[in-house]
Amino acid sequence: MSPSDKTVESEYENVNEMVQPKVVFRNVSKTFKKKNEDLCVLQDVDLDVAPGEFVCLLGPSGCGKSTLLNIAGGFEQTDTGSITIDGQEITEPSDRRVFVFQEYGIFPWASVWDNVCLGLRKLPKEEQKRVAQETIDLVGLKGFEKAYPMELSGGMKQRVEVARALAVKPDVIFMDEPFGALDSLTRLTMRSELIRIWKQEKPTILFVTHDVDESIQLADRVVVLTERPGRIARVVDVDLPHPRDLASPEYARIKGELYELLGVRDWG
Amino acid sequence: MNIYPWIGLAVAVLTLWKCQVFTKVILPAAVGLVVICLWQLACDHFLSDTNPTPGQTLAAIFEIDDNGRLWSDAAASLFRVTWGFFLAALVGIPLGLWVGWTTRGFQALNPIIQALRPISPIAWIPFAILWFGIGDGAGIFLIFYASFFPITVGTMAAVRNISMVHQRSALNFGLTGFELFRRVVLPAALPQIITSMRIALGVAWLVIVAAEMVGMDSGLGYLINDARNMGRRYDLVAATMVIIGAIGIVLDLLIRKFEDFDEVRWGYVKR
Repeated sequence: MSPSDKTVESEYENVNEMVQPKVVFRNVSKTFKKKNEDLCVLQDVDLDVAPGEFVCLLGPSGCGKSTLLNIAGGFEQTDTGSITIDGQEITEPSDRRVFVFQEYGIFPWASVWDNVCLGLRKLPKEEQKRVAQETIDLVGLKGFEKAYPMELSGGMKQRVEVARALAVKPDVIFMDEPFGALDSLTRLTMRSELIRIWKQEKPTILFVTHDVDESIQLADRVVVLTERPGRIARVVDVDLPHPRDLASPEYARIKGELYELLGVRDWG
Repeated sequence: MNIYPWIGLAVAVLTLWKCQVFTKVILPAAVGLVVICLWQLACDHFLSDTNPTPGQTLAAIFEIDDNGRLWSDAAASLFRVTWGFFLAALVGIPLGLWVGWTTRGFQALNPIIQALRPISPIAWIPFAILWFGIGDGAGIFLIFYASFFPITVGTMAAVRNISMVHQRSALNFGLTGFELFRRVVLPAALPQIITSMRIALGVAWLVIVAAEMVGMDSGLGYLINDARNMGRRYDLVAATMVIIGAIGIVLDLLIRKFEDFDEVRWGYVKR
C-alpha cells in the first residue's frame, strides 16, 4: 500500500466512524468441550457498540458474559461468528483494547508509577512521564506514585488498573466485574469516578456485571443475557442523565424491567 | 505460701502480654530457660554422668573456641555450604525458570528431576568420595545436590503458579520475550524463589553435618565424630550441636533479609 492510499483510506475511515459501530459482535457462539458433555455458553450473540458508548453486559453467573468479554479481548476464540473492532477481526490481545480484571491484574511487584507505565514503554521518556502523571492525577492517585499495590486499598488498586488501561488511550476498555471485590460504599464511589473519567476521556467501555443497579447507574445501554447458553434477551436503553437519580420513576421502571428479564420476581 | 507475689507476677504478665518486648524477647527467652532447666533436672536425676549438663556444655564451647577448632571447623563447613549452595542457585534458578515456563522443557526435564529428587544426598556420599576424594570437593558436590532440588523445583513451581490475570495483563500490553521475562515472569516468581532458597539453605546445613561425619576430615560434623571417638567427650558433642544450631539460625536470618525488598514483600502477605 502506497502512502497516498493510506491517507485516503484513513480519511475514509474517519468519515465512516461517525456512523460505523466501534465493536461488532456477529453470530458469536462458543462451546466448551467437557469430558462428558459439550457446554454451550454463548449462542448467536449479535451486538453493535457505538464509539464512546458505555455498554453493560448483565446476566446471571455462568451465562457466558465473561467468556464473551474474553473473546472480545482476544484471550479466547469463537467457534462461529466474529467480533470486530473498527472492522478488524480480533484474533489476539492487543493494547488497543485493554482489560480491567476483578482480581487485580496490576503487578504487585511494581509501584503505582511503574504499573501505569506498563503500556507506555515505547514512548519517549518525557512523553511517558507526562502521560503517566496525567493519568495518575485523573484517577485521583496523586501522591501515591511510589506506593506498592499491597499498601493500597481495594478501591485504590482498581484505580491503578483503570489508570494503566487509560494511559494507552485504548479504543475499547473491557471491564470484567471490576468492582466485584470492593465493599458497597467504595463500589458506589468507584462507579461515579468511572463515569467522571469516561465523560472526560470518552473511551468505549464494555462492562460485565451481575449487579442490576450497577448496570443502570453506569450504562447507556444494558445488554441482558439469558441463562446458559447465553443469548441476548433484550437490549435496554438507559436514557437518564448523569449523575443518575436513583429515586426517579424511570430508574425504578428500568430496574423492574431488568429484574423481570432476569426472571427475578420479588425484588422489592 | 504467700500468694501476693504470684498475683503480682500474673498482673505483670497480663500487662506485658501484647507488648513487643514481651512477645519477641521475654516470652521466647523464658521458654528457652525452661528447656535448659529441664535439661539440668534430667542430668541431676535421670541421666548418667556421661551426659553433659548445660554448664559443662557451655564450658565445652569455650574449650572448642580456645583450641581454635570452632573457627576452623565452622569455616570449613560454611565454605562447603556457601559454594555448594551458590552453585546450586546459579544452575537451579535459571533451569527452574526455563523448565517452568516452557512446555517442552517441562515435559523433557520434569520427570528426571522428580526421579532424582527423592534420593537422599547422604546416599551419594560414597560416590562423592569416589569422584572428589575426602575433602571440600565432595562436600561442595553434596551440598550442591542437596540444595539444587529445592531451588529448581521451587522455582519451577513459582513460574507455573504465575496467576492468570498477570499473564493476561502481560499479553494485553504486548509483553514478549526478554521484556516479558524481566517485567512479569521473574518478579512474579521471585518471592517463591527466595522461599525455596531458604528451604534449600536449611537442608544444606542439615546435610553438611551428616556428610562431614561420614566422609570428611574437617568441619563441624567431623568435630562431633572426633569428640565422640577420641574420648567420649559428649560435652564437646553437645557444644558442637549448639554451635550448629546457632549458625543455622544466623544463616536463616541472613537469607530472610531478601524478603524485605519492596519488589517481593507482596509475596509474603497473607491474603
